[in-house]
This record gives sequence, C-alpha cells and structure tokens, in this order.
Amino acid sequence: MRTNPMGRRSFLRLAGGAGLAAALGPVLSACSSGDDTSDSPWNGELQFVGWDFQPDTIKRLVKAWSDANGTPVNVQTIPNVGYSAALQTRLRGGDTIDVFYNFAYNTQKFIDQKWAVELNGLPDVDTMVNEMFPSARERHVNADGKIISAPYFSAVYMNQYNKAYVERAGFTAPPASLAETYQQAKKIKADGICDTPYVAYWIKEFCEEYLNVYLLAQGVTPFDEKGEPVFADDPKAEEAFAWWQSMYTEGLAPKSLLNDDPGKLSGELAQGRAAFFVLHHYFLTSVRDLKGPQSANIEQAPVVNGQTLQIGEVLQLGSKSAQAKEKAWQLMKHYGWKDTEGKFSVFTEWAKAGGLAAPYPAFFTDPATTAAFPDYYDLSKLSQTFESGSNVVPARTLPWYPDFQAKVGDLVHAMLLGQAEPKATVAALADAARKAKAGGGL
Amino acid sequence: MTTTAPPQGSVPAPAGDPPAGAAPRRRRRNSLTASDARFGRGIVTPSAIVLVLLLLAPTVLTVVYSFYDVPASGDGLGEFAGIGNYEVVFGSPVFWKSLQVTLIFTVGFVVLSTLIGLAVALLLNQEFRGRGLARSLLVLPWATPWLVIGILWKWYADGSVGGLNGILMRLHIIGDYVEFLSDPTWAMVIAVLSAAWRQSCFAAILFLAGLQTLPKIQHEAAAIDGAGVWKRFRHVTIPWLRPVLTTVTVLNIIYAFLQFDVIYALTQGGPGDATQVLSILIYRQLFVVTNIGTGSALAVILGAIALAGGLLTVRLLYGKREAS
Repeated sequence: MRTNPMGRRSFLRLAGGAGLAAALGPVLSACSSGDDTSDSPWNGELQFVGWDFQPDTIKRLVKAWSDANGTPVNVQTIPNVGYSAALQTRLRGGDTIDVFYNFAYNTQKFIDQKWAVELNGLPDVDTMVNEMFPSARERHVNADGKIISAPYFSAVYMNQYNKAYVERAGFTAPPASLAETYQQAKKIKADGICDTPYVAYWIKEFCEEYLNVYLLAQGVTPFDEKGEPVFADDPKAEEAFAWWQSMYTEGLAPKSLLNDDPGKLSGELAQGRAAFFVLHHYFLTSVRDLKGPQSANIEQAPVVNGQTLQIGEVLQLGSKSAQAKEKAWQLMKHYGWKDTEGKFSVFTEWAKAGGLAAPYPAFFTDPATTAAFPDYYDLSKLSQTFESGSNVVPARTLPWYPDFQAKVGDLVHAMLLGQAEPKATVAALADAARKAKAGGGL
Repeated sequence: MTTTAPPQGSVPAPAGDPPAGAAPRRRRRNSLTASDARFGRGIVTPSAIVLVLLLLAPTVLTVVYSFYDVPASGDGLGEFAGIGNYEVVFGSPVFWKSLQVTLIFTVGFVVLSTLIGLAVALLLNQEFRGRGLARSLLVLPWATPWLVIGILWKWYADGSVGGLNGILMRLHIIGDYVEFLSDPTWAMVIAVLSAAWRQSCFAAILFLAGLQTLPKIQHEAAAIDGAGVWKRFRHVTIPWLRPVLTTVTVLNIIYAFLQFDVIYALTQGGPGDATQVLSILIYRQLFVVTNIGTGSALAVILGAIALAGGLLTVRLLYGKREAS
C-alpha cells in the first residue's frame, strides 16, 4: 500500500491552522462569555493576596482569623513593586481572589472591570464607614455612595526631621511651609551640617503622590469633584513645581533620589546625611529602628502648616460565590476594621510592626494603640493630621486615574532634570490627566 | 515487503533515462520516505504543539487584540477599533521617543556584546594556564537571569556605595562619585553595559565553538604566505566565523529589541524617559494601565521591527555572500 506522507508545507499549514484555532478559541469563547459573577461553586478555602510588607505578619494575622472561624485561607504575597501588574494579570486570567490588597488609585477601576465587588448592603459596612475620619471616607466611598473598599492601613505624609540639625542651623522650629523648608535646607547645607539636607521618595512610580503632596502644601486643589485637573488654573501650582525643581537642581536633595528606595533614604537620615525626609508617617519607625548616629534626633512634624496627602491602601472583595463572599467579608472586617470583640486587633499589630495607622478616630484613643506605638510618636498630632490636616484627593480613586498615575513620573523627572520648565510641566500634567480621562494616549 | 537490490557498481543513468531496477528502488525510497516522514512527524509534533500554543497562538491573539478596544477585564474583544490603536501609537511623541531610545540601546548592545564576545572568544582560544577555568566562568553571567543582572548592576552602579564608582575613583578616572542611574546619558550607558556584559558571554561561547572548528593549517598557511596577525584575523578567522557572526548578531538584535528585565530592574525606564525602551512601554500599557489594544499594537510594531532588523542583518552579513 502506498503511503502519502505529509509534506513539510502541509505540516506547517496544519500547525498554522491549529495556532489560529488555539488563538481564536479563547477569543470566541470570551466573546460569548457573560457575567460570571453568579453563584459559582466554592471549594471552602478563601484566597488572600497582598504585597510583601512583612509577609509573616500577614500570615499570622490571617491565620488567627482562620483558626477562630474554621475557614481555611490561602495567603499569597507578591512583591510590592509590580504588584498591580501581577494582580491584574491574574485577575484578567480568570483567577478568583476573595480578598486582596490594592492601591487606592486602582479601586474604582477594579470595580468597573468586575474584579472586585461593591460592599454596600453587607453586614455592618455602613457602621464601618461611619466610624472613619470624614477625610478618609472619600477614599472608600465613591461619589455615587458606593462603598468600594475597606482600609488595609492609612498614613499621612509627614516631615521626619533632624531636630538637632535644625537647631544647629539657628532655627527654633521645623519648617512650616515649602519656602521655609527651602530656607532651612539651604542654611543647613551652607553651614556644612550636611550636604544634601532634603530627601524624598522621587522614583517614577511615586512621583504622583508627591505631586499631590506639594500641590496641597501650596494650598492648591489638585482636582475638582469631576476629576478635572484644576491645579493647572492655579498659579501656585507652578510655584510648587519651581520649588521642587530648585530643591533638586540646587543640590539640596541628592541626585540619586530619582532611583533611591525608602530604605536607603531612611539610612540617609539615620546616618546624618540628610535633615528632612518627607514620606508616610511610619517611616519614623524605620529611621529610629536603624539606630544610626542621628536616629534619636529624628522627630516628626507636618509637611507644612496646612493640608497634606493622606494615603491609605485598601482591601477589596473579589469573591464570586455568595458563601465565599460572606466569609471573605468577615475576614475583611476583621482585617480592615475590628475583630468580633470590637477591638482594632489587626491594626494594633500593624502599629507595633511598622507604625501603620487606621483611618478611625477611635483607633487613636484606644489604649492598645497608645501601647502599640513607640513613644517617639505624637499620636494626638498624628490624629489631628488625619482629622483636619490631610486630604485623600478623591479623584485618585477614579477609574482613569491609574493611566494618569503612570504618566506623572516621566514628566516630573524631565522637570527635575531641567529638560522642562515648571510652567510647561504643569500644562503637560494637566494634558496627561485630560487624556487619561478621555481614555487615549500612551 | 521485498525489494530488488540494485546491481553493485551500476553507473547512474543520465536524467530522464530510468536505470535498471529503478522502479523497485523508488518503491523502497517511497517506503523509506513514508517511514522517515512518520518518524519526523513524531519527533517534531511535540515541539510544534508547544510552539503553536506558546508562540503562534499568543502572536495571533496579540495581532487580533491590536485591532480592538479590548476591556481590561478579559471579557470579550470589545469594540472593533480598526487601525485606531495604531493611530494612537504613531500619533504619540512618547512612542517616537521610546523608539529612539530602543534604537540607541540596540545599537550599543549589539555592537558591544558582539565585539566583546568575539574578543573574549579569541582570548580563550589561546593556550594559557587556567583556560579551562576561564571558559567555565564564562558561562556564569550567561546562566544568571536577566533580572538578577539588573539588580546586581544597580548595586554596582550605585552613586553612594557602588563598586563601579570605587574602581573609577581608584583609577583616578573620576574625582567624585557619580550618580550614574540618575543621569539620563549615564543611565543608558549602564543599561547597555550591564545587558551587554551578560550577552557577550553568550556570544563568546558561540564564537569559541566556531573558532575551535577552524583548522590550524589555514592560519599556518597564511603565516607562511607572510600574513600578519591582523591579516590572518581579517582574511582567515572572520570569513570562517561569518555564519556564527550572523547568528550571534541576529540573536543580539532580537535580544536587544526585546530587552526588558535589566532596564526595568536598573531604572524602570528612567530617569524620566531616558531608558524607556519599547518593551517597557508595552509592559506599562498591557500590565499596569491595562490598555490591552494599544499595548498589543505596540507589541506588534516591536515584533515587526525586531523581525525586520533580524532579516536585514542576515541579508547584509550572509545573503550577498550566498547569492554570489
């Protein structure tokens, strides 16, 4: 019998066809797939994903809840840098994650993409929201009244400063405005106390937070309630940018700031190579724990006398089945609010572990909190900053905001490097925000 | 099945004139061909399946996505966008700047990794004590993941505690520590150096393999004819290595265009957009802001550029010679 062997061309044609089929299969099935948020089967184990800040603490805290409730939880941690990308890829690939950490600027987007669900109607959720600082509430409740997340932790931008250096330079108090920060840094440098007095976390991914910090410090409203970049209409925005540029180009901040990580920056302050470190309040713990020659001289003050940025990363609920959702919400309440005994047990642990705070006034007056925070923290000052000295910039949770967030670093770095003027940078940032809002551009 | 063996020592018949015993021989060849083909298919099919699933299918999918406004959620294709995503890409100054950065990186990476690789291979082809150890060490950088190379070089090039600054200071090349990664030009130089450092080892391994097949007699004959070191290198070694050189260059070009890990670990594309190559822009569009359609269009464009670069190189280095 004569065999008709398959030729190379036929084989390749077949493989190509198979490739097309393999590629178009998921596409076609995706086209026909409907809403899959209906009651899906649940295997009884909750999936929990967070970034890797103290992973052992995360596992311990979740395990305590799991043991008490008899619900197994699979905890997975992902590195912080690149967390969003990894999380989104998993969710886009169809993974169901019942409870996950998220950056506040991603929350509405995740709701819109059906990767997370709204929390309205869940037991006690309204009480949880009502117990928050009003300033923090806007992060978790959108303009339509939808509750989109629960707190994981909160923080406010503070100025960690070297009191001894400030006094040696002839000042009686830390700076109360951006202009005073510039003056004090200039004097400290001129007196030879340290060469680069000012440090901040200015890597590309973080520039967006600082944009809001410096705008708020100048009394500028970054975005209006519709998300319009109204900062562009305020001449003080340009002043904030000019200040930023001066600090960098005049050598008051180290050139390496565009790449430095916060660990290194804490070390700069602890070792006495810097006098001011503006970042989340809990970095005071990092600087003190380093026990460098200047660690004990580091105190905390507001960035300016006025508003600063309040940040808070969040927990979102992604369960698909009703049963899992019920259990996941119990875990979220425990982790992001109070335990069944009404105590901030998880937040107290985070306060002990790293100086993290919760966006609830009652947290700051709780004796357990007072005991958890080291005595170098002025809790009343911190609480006051949460209450009336900080702003969450509600636009940061809008669905288009991540697009804008990703563009800020390039533009701010260009200005710091002297490639763009402050005025042009203000315009470019406003343009980037409008484009992100309109859903276009790279 | 039995076949008739051809007569021993039979002279091949001229074309068009079938020799005696040709029909049985063709039958046997057909039978062997069928058997060979079955065996060949068996060998190739697993690889083909893997390639189809992991390479061809995603490629087709990416091309399809590039014509749609694909939702981040992964639910369906979204609205047909035609060439809208390509218009967004080509209309953006961010893309053109990134393309420029990619080309600069590619030229630096390809030239440096090829030349260093060749130089190292020539060195390791000489007889000297410890050559075996040196050859083994050559594999180490190549066996290290790109991401780890990026992290290592980030430490090495650090402006405060980096070893690179220390060495340059001791050699009196610089008077003060330089913040390499915060300066747009230096950041690109370090990105090229660190990536080329790893890739040159791979190039050296391939060149070394090529050099070891070069018959010594060719060099000896050239030397007898009065050719000096440079002439022997140019007229004996390089022509012998031309196929390897083509392979190495094409691979280097592809690696350069697709480079992501080292640059991301070093600078995340910064400072500003100084090292934001297209692969980083694609990552940002696809995985950070999840603009799947635009990101896919960028990926298709990068793929086309890498393919064109590779083909052009083959043609330049090999094609003309083959044709002649």
